[in-house]
Amino acid sequence: MNALEIHGLSAGYGGQPIVRDIRLTVGTGEIVALLGANGAGKTTTLRAASGVLRHSGKLHLDGQDISGVSAARRVALGLAHVPQGRGTFVDFSVEENLRLGAYSVTSAQRIQDDTAYWFGVFPRLKERRAQLAGSLSGGEQQMLAIARAMMTRPKVLMCDEPSLGLAPAVTADLFVLLRDLAADRGTGILIVEQNAHLTLEIAARAYVLEHGEIAIEGSAATLSRNSEIQRAYLGIEA
Amino acid sequence: MRRPTLRPALLGLAAFAALACVPAVLPGFMVFQASIALTYAIAILGLNLLMGFNGQVSLAQGVFFAIGGYVVAILMVDYAVPVWLALAAAVAGNAILGALVGIPALRLQGLQLAILTLVLAALVPPLVMRFDKITKGTSGISIDKPEPPAWLPLDQDSFVYFLCLAGAGLCVLVMSQLIHGETGRMLRAVRDNPVIAESFGVHVARTRIATFATSAAFGGFAGGLFALVNAFVSPDSFQLFKSFEFLAGAIIGGITSMTGAFIGAVIVVFLPEWSSHISLAMAGLIYGGTLVVMMLVAREGVAGLIGKTLSRAGAASLSMASQTKPHPKPETRTMVLAEKE
Amino acid sequence: MTLILQQLVEGLASGTIYAALAVALVMIHRATRIVNFAQGEMATFCVYLAWQMTVWGLPLYVALAIAAVLSFILGAAVFRLAIRPILSAPPEAIVVSCIGLFIGFQAMSLWLWGSDNLQFPRLFSNTIWTIADVRISANTAGMLVTLALLAGLLAAMFRFTRIGLAMRAAAAEREKSPYVGIEVETMLTLGWGLAAVFGFIAAVLAAPSLFLSPTMMLSVIIYALAAATLGGWDSPAGAIVGGLVVGVAETLGTTLVKAIGAELRLAIPFLLITLILFVRPQGLFGRSGTTRV
Ligand SMILES: Nc1ncnc2c1ncn2[C@@H]1O[C@H](COP(=O)(O)OP(=O)(O)OP(=O)(O)O)[C@@H](O)[C@H]1O
Ligand SMILES: [Mg+2]
Repeated sequence: MNALEIHGLSAGYGGQPIVRDIRLTVGTGEIVALLGANGAGKTTTLRAASGVLRHSGKLHLDGQDISGVSAARRVALGLAHVPQGRGTFVDFSVEENLRLGAYSVTSAQRIQDDTAYWFGVFPRLKERRAQLAGSLSGGEQQMLAIARAMMTRPKVLMCDEPSLGLAPAVTADLFVLLRDLAADRGTGILIVEQNAHLTLEIAARAYVLEHGEIAIEGSAATLSRNSEIQRAYLGIEA
Repeated sequence: MRRPTLRPALLGLAAFAALACVPAVLPGFMVFQASIALTYAIAILGLNLLMGFNGQVSLAQGVFFAIGGYVVAILMVDYAVPVWLALAAAVAGNAILGALVGIPALRLQGLQLAILTLVLAALVPPLVMRFDKITKGTSGISIDKPEPPAWLPLDQDSFVYFLCLAGAGLCVLVMSQLIHGETGRMLRAVRDNPVIAESFGVHVARTRIATFATSAAFGGFAGGLFALVNAFVSPDSFQLFKSFEFLAGAIIGGITSMTGAFIGAVIVVFLPEWSSHISLAMAGLIYGGTLVVMMLVAREGVAGLIGKTLSRAGAASLSMASQTKPHPKPETRTMVLAEKE
Repeated sequence: MTLILQQLVEGLASGTIYAALAVALVMIHRATRIVNFAQGEMATFCVYLAWQMTVWGLPLYVALAIAAVLSFILGAAVFRLAIRPILSAPPEAIVVSCIGLFIGFQAMSLWLWGSDNLQFPRLFSNTIWTIADVRISANTAGMLVTLALLAGLLAAMFRFTRIGLAMRAAAAEREKSPYVGIEVETMLTLGWGLAAVFGFIAAVLAAPSLFLSPTMMLSVIIYALAAATLGGWDSPAGAIVGGLVVGVAETLGTTLVKAIGAELRLAIPFLLITLILFVRPQGLFGRSGTTRV
């Protein structure tokens, strides 16, 4: 069974449709890339999937229909979203950000364990636990955003351009982390990226969005081999 | 629409003519109230100018209204100044005062000015009491209503009504001069893009202060007329509540519309009256509830609603500004006064 | 000197009232960027409810507890019914709604209980202690302790509890909060409810000395506006400090500056607001940023 199944999803702003009839699946422990040019509608797709944007179409999380469920409930059910840009609460401390991430978790013990776990993964965050998130570096904020999203132990994690503004070395670390999350915890990951090259290295499959519709889908291997597709859609010169 | 076309001018004349029939049609006490409503409409027109072009929410209109009222009362009663001169003094005095308030107001943001002016408005009755040597404190000042000239077959109330109507007509004319043509373009430039306006040689600060002064002058004029209509001024007439009423009237009518100023004035003057006919005990409850409900159904003001309904029905614009831009985000304040560019 | 100290104590007593109402205003402003002019009238209405229950024979503290709960419900209901549907409307629309609520609640109190000044029982005894010639009543002390307790509770709630954290998050980051599972509107509703409780407490503290009447809170709200501006519109702690400062300034000002006298008491909040807006517009505890009505 797929962790996330999206059928015929359409959404837009102010009555203006932006994405149409999106069909997309993410398996358990699978990394899926959603690629496309600027303005293709990648962010819009994720925002619709997480429920912060009104949409039509069907969504299933672990087989459960979540189409009519509020954004907040979707988080509790295990759909996590690291939005584009600063996904942290800038006026709140690092520790409070993690507590906020665990908002829908009821077990205090689990919150404590997970906080300790993520501080272990990111010692830099532990050192800065009392510091305001807004005063962290871009890379630290992205780590915090991911740790925050993982506090619910989600079934599916959606990341919107996690590499935005990060140094290549930091991006590489981040991608290793995402791969480990999928492999070790079985988290399905839907990742939106400009950096198609790097993303296709860790993804199993990819979708390419063009003008709000899925233009191509296929295995990452196929996509990275096909230089025609790369030039046309992904801006990569083979 | 670049210049005021014939159409709104004709409509305006028609409305003016219709208003001129009021004393002939309505019973006496309603003529009195209609006169009050006209003075409110003038104050609201001034407030619209301020909110529409400076984007500032002010509760000071009641203050200028009060000062206008007292200036006219004191000049006429204590110094036997003729009516027209007393009114002129109220206008001039408030224009100067408005400019003085407008200078510091340049530095204040929406919320800040609203709060400061709210407290200032609440200070009016205590100030009147404190300077009771001049204002006569709670006992107030009675004024003789101006007598109609012998050749006019009018009773006193109707005469005062026509005085107010003439005043309101004058204000509408002044207002259209301001918001159309060159001046209007300058005002809009200052509102929409002060930086660019400045680079084109418009003196932004001076323009905004002038807007404030004009708005205050309207308030003072309205207060002066009110003193004549009411034939009496006392702190009771100038409670904080008056400023609330002006603000509510302006917004209910739609801050972007001159017609709206009149609609708003009629609503805030007559709604409490009608409510008390429905149930004396619950008058305030009905009044307050209506304001809340009105905002639920017509957040852009009644004039905006009428405009929208009409344009949906394919009819042309009734008001001078039925085009209110939708507000895209709560943070951005887009206000359109009068015509579209 | 003794006179000044005496005035200081009395100023602190009325300051607690302003502080409590200012906290209510700030909480609502922080979450929804609205200044609820009607807060005082809503609070007065709820004090009437408490008074009515004491008339029916309920013990004072029981009546107060029930009325506090009713205040919470009232605040939440006002938000859901009148404010939430127009949250995205231009700020002017919300101002009119608040004016409508102001008129409506005042009228409701007037309709149900009339305009007479009613005696409202004191919460604390009339005992008076004299310390170094300064007389401190148990009532003043009780008011200050009440305020300190409430402030501490509120701070602890915002800092340590899950709901408190979520309320802060919903207020500070309305866009991001759904991403962590916070129902923003629920939090805003709770915020309005809680604010109404603080307003109610302010009115309960005010009622014994001002006498209960439909317009009782009319001047109090002016002082509370000054307090919130002084403290900063996004800081509950600032509102409390601001309230106490305004209270002290009011009593000291009216005694020491003869020109002000009893009639012009209201000039003091006006002067304070003017001063702070031009010296430090974001308030003592506020961070610079923009606000709207
Ligand atoms: N809040 C909004 N209101 C109106 N239109 C929007 C809004 N957000 C995005 N759009 C429009 O929707 C389209 C798709 O935007 P979206 O952010 O989904 O693109 P994207 O693929 O994520 O682009 P990027 O790679 O630049 O992040 C764009 O044309 C954009 O202008
Ligand atoms: Mg995007």
